[in-house]
Amino acid sequence: MKINKSADLARRAFLKRGSMLGAAGFAAPWALNLAAIGEAAAQTATDYKALVCVFLYGGNDHGNTLVPYDATNYAAYRTIRANLATPQANLAATLLTPATALPSGMQLAMAPQLASLKSLFDQGKLAVQLNVGPLIVPTTVAQYRSGSVPLPPKLFSHNDQQSIWQSSRPEGSITGWGGRIGDLFLGGNSTSALTCMSVTGNAVYLAGQTAVQYQVSTSGAVAVRGVKSSLYGSAACAAELRTLITNSSSHSLENEYAVVTRRSLDTEALVTSAVAAAPVFTTVFNTSNSLAMQLQMVAKMIAARGTLGVTRQVFLVSMSGFDLHDNLLSQHPVLLTSVNEALASFYGATVELGIANNVTTFTASDFGRTLTSNGGGSDHGWGGHHVVIGGAVQGGQFYGSAPAIAVNGPDDVGQGRLLPTTSVDQYAATLAAWFGVADSSMATIVPNIGNFTTRNLGFV
Amino acid sequence: MAILEKETPATEASDSDDPQSSQAAVAAGVAASLAIASCGGGSGGGSNGSGGSGSSGVTDAQASRFLSQAALSARDNIWLLQLVGYEGWLNQQFTTPPSGSSWDWLVSQGYNAETYRYSNSSSDYVIWYRLITSPDQLRQRIALALSEYFVVSVSGISTQWSQFAMAAYWDMLCENAFGNFRQLLEAVTLNPAMGLYLNTKGNQKEDVATGRAPDENYAREVMQLFTIGLLELNNDGTVKTNGSGQPIETYNQDTITNLARVFTGWDLNTGIAGPTATTQFVMPMQLIASRHSALAATFLGTTIPAGTDGVTALKIALDTLFNHPNVGPFFGRQMIQRLVTSNPSPAYVARVATAFNNNGLGVRGDMQAVIRAILLDPEARSDDALALPTGGKLREPMLRFIQWARTFNATSAAGTWKIYDLSDPASRLAQSPLRSPSVFNYFRPGYTPPNTAIASAGLVAPEFQITNEPTVAGYLNFMQSVIANGIADVKPDYTTELSLAGDPTALVKQINLLMAANQVSATTEAGIIAAVASISASTPAGQLNRVRAAILLVMACPEYLVQK
Repeated sequence: MKINKSADLARRAFLKRGSMLGAAGFAAPWALNLAAIGEAAAQTATDYKALVCVFLYGGNDHGNTLVPYDATNYAAYRTIRANLATPQANLAATLLTPATALPSGMQLAMAPQLASLKSLFDQGKLAVQLNVGPLIVPTTVAQYRSGSVPLPPKLFSHNDQQSIWQSSRPEGSITGWGGRIGDLFLGGNSTSALTCMSVTGNAVYLAGQTAVQYQVSTSGAVAVRGVKSSLYGSAACAAELRTLITNSSSHSLENEYAVVTRRSLDTEALVTSAVAAAPVFTTVFNTSNSLAMQLQMVAKMIAARGTLGVTRQVFLVSMSGFDLHDNLLSQHPVLLTSVNEALASFYGATVELGIANNVTTFTASDFGRTLTSNGGGSDHGWGGHHVVIGGAVQGGQFYGSAPAIAVNGPDDVGQGRLLPTTSVDQYAATLAAWFGVADSSMATIVPNIGNFTTRNLGFV
Repeated sequence: MAILEKETPATEASDSDDPQSSQAAVAAGVAASLAIASCGGGSGGGSNGSGGSGSSGVTDAQASRFLSQAALSARDNIWLLQLVGYEGWLNQQFTTPPSGSSWDWLVSQGYNAETYRYSNSSSDYVIWYRLITSPDQLRQRIALALSEYFVVSVSGISTQWSQFAMAAYWDMLCENAFGNFRQLLEAVTLNPAMGLYLNTKGNQKEDVATGRAPDENYAREVMQLFTIGLLELNNDGTVKTNGSGQPIETYNQDTITNLARVFTGWDLNTGIAGPTATTQFVMPMQLIASRHSALAATFLGTTIPAGTDGVTALKIALDTLFNHPNVGPFFGRQMIQRLVTSNPSPAYVARVATAFNNNGLGVRGDMQAVIRAILLDPEARSDDALALPTGGKLREPMLRFIQWARTFNATSAAGTWKIYDLSDPASRLAQSPLRSPSVFNYFRPGYTPPNTAIASAGLVAPEFQITNEPTVAGYLNFMQSVIANGIADVKPDYTTELSLAGDPTALVKQINLLMAANQVSATTEAGIIAAVASISASTPAGQLNRVRAAILLVMACPEYLVQK
């Protein structure tokens, strides 16, 4: 197995990062040394941390995820949302009562389907980050309209905003902030290939300068049957199959296919046996809930961390179907029910495994949506609300600014499309800091963090 | 969301390394192989690909390579191609009418019965059936490519009888594959499946009283994905830049807000007589004038005046999009990627875009001209391109499976073609026709696998977006089973190959020619031959295993997987 490259990979990551910092002029050499010291400490720590991104593909309708509840704001919401509005009476049970109330008497309730998340909020294990989205610099509505400050490119476009959320750059980007975090820590993992793990499709989020996404299915790693003892009864053919699919090639596409196949073959047995031998948990995950099945596999990987020799892992799971231009009323509650169930099960499993304080889970999405109705649903927006869950989370609180419930108000760029008041870079930097990234390294993780005064939002 | 029919997985059976059911196949094969041999031409007889050219001077390997780009299998086509040449073959395909109505097939199979109202599995059956059996191979190949550009996915259609919506969508793509892009764009726009998928169906004008705004989904995606893309392009597909070297975005949110008004007022045509309620999925959507926005719409330099009727407004909008200079390079490049290579040179894109812009007779959007330009281009045809270390494309998993089925004459004994959704990434193909996870297709045209030599070279490899540790294993496991057992009642006929089982060299060379256009190198081929030869051919079961192993080993090797 080719899994003992950690030290070399970490050294290469460090050198690359050093050159990036130097080239960008962000940091003097002494800062680099401080970063190196911080990371060295992290790498030798015996603790474990996992950062789990739950990406809601399609653009979650934040308007019906976190709903105004106080009389004034509910009335505004009801008027703007028209046929899409959730009845106020349905929200009473999920009204959030934060430790510090929002200004001007604003109250917010979670969607009725998010009762388990509300409970985690009450327990202080879930924080709500209000109106977060991609920004290059702090931006006002006036600046947006006049174009006087740089804006994230290709706003409102699904694929590009997914990419910007994951990597700070539009589609075509080849490293993401999950992967860039992974670069810093893969040296501490004896199985470095398992630093950045996806249980959903390929995503730029998990690609680093050195770190490479490793994917498992919801049932774990997949073995190639044909390379086992025999293929169609022939040991020689099984051996030949292994040779063919792993051979290097001078053709770049052929060679890359073989690289992926080698990674698949090299790590499958380790993952499969480690997961099989890991402590069992009894928390129930709904087998008909795709997100729950992905998170169950994450929990199994975390349970197997000792055998796998990993101390820092970045995970990605996802759910799709959120692009509800139509059928919002019938379908959004179904999606949120799945999200609620999956996240609650996952948190429960981490508690059961005694690792809840070491696992932080957060949501992300292409964008928020319009507050106005198009008749059947809502359209592409920009900022949205997200949640962060874990034992280390400073929960039971709102973070960021609650947007005015308005169309063409102080916080939206039309139809209730929120102009973010917190940037993804700040959100990511806060999570990265918890994970152990030194502040001096933060600009290599999220390149625009230097444009924001608050580098740590404090939710974890 | 429609209620999906629960189906039993089709491919869980073992690959029966000790096949007890193979005796009959072997016995039948001896007789049939004689018949095949008499069909003539270069496709049947284990040619090594260096010769066998007909009057066109096209070699076996060149013919097979062309067919890997233009068709779904080389079987029974190599000799024809050598006889009539590339252009002759294209002309013959252009004049071959569509091979039947998928909608009619569903009816003939009884899928209009009440029990199938909320079932969409038959939409998979009918598309696989068409792709595996239809003789109009170029049309089917182009329709499949178009289905990855004008994406509709059955999993995103919220309607009863969605199988009929998907069948009608496929038929529409087939009918328009060799027509004009402008008509294709309109047919796509008004197709009920697309209307359901991107919400033009039922889209209503603004309502000041409630604050309701038109649905923007189609207005956005028809620009971003179906016509002009996000950035201004040169005719060669490279990105235009402004005075400060920055890309120029083609539109903004205001453009979308305006264009969205055009796509209001459309709905299913329910007023027509037909055999069943499903007929409404065949007819283009119709305008309900009272729901159409009367506001002016200004976009891309065009203004549709206030009060323009909906049909006229649609015509102006689609004409505007169609005539935007981005369409040729934007569409042309992606069609090249689907058929020939992931990384066409700017000059190649420009040649295709120029054909799009003017077919030589002053016609813009002539699909036949575009297809000719793509497939006859020196970058597609020259043997020199075979040696490029970055040329070609990763074959799409669904195309590999279709190629296997066609090349080895797979047939459904009951004629039912119950091949299900093969999208599962861990145990099947990570891809299935008309089953894209979103309107952004299975993979993006600009996808670059991170941390690879491909990325370092600044190249793209779209199909690698569905290539990862589970999918490479899942594909091999799936094909190992399918090659041995078929899928559902769809079984291969290895008669011709079994006739070569006693000669592993001839067997492997034949499969290399048919499946890989001889692009599996001599070294790799030698390894496969030696492994296949190690299986004793003294029994019918052994002969069958030689055939199976030869096919799987060819289909497993990267030299096959990357179509050059």
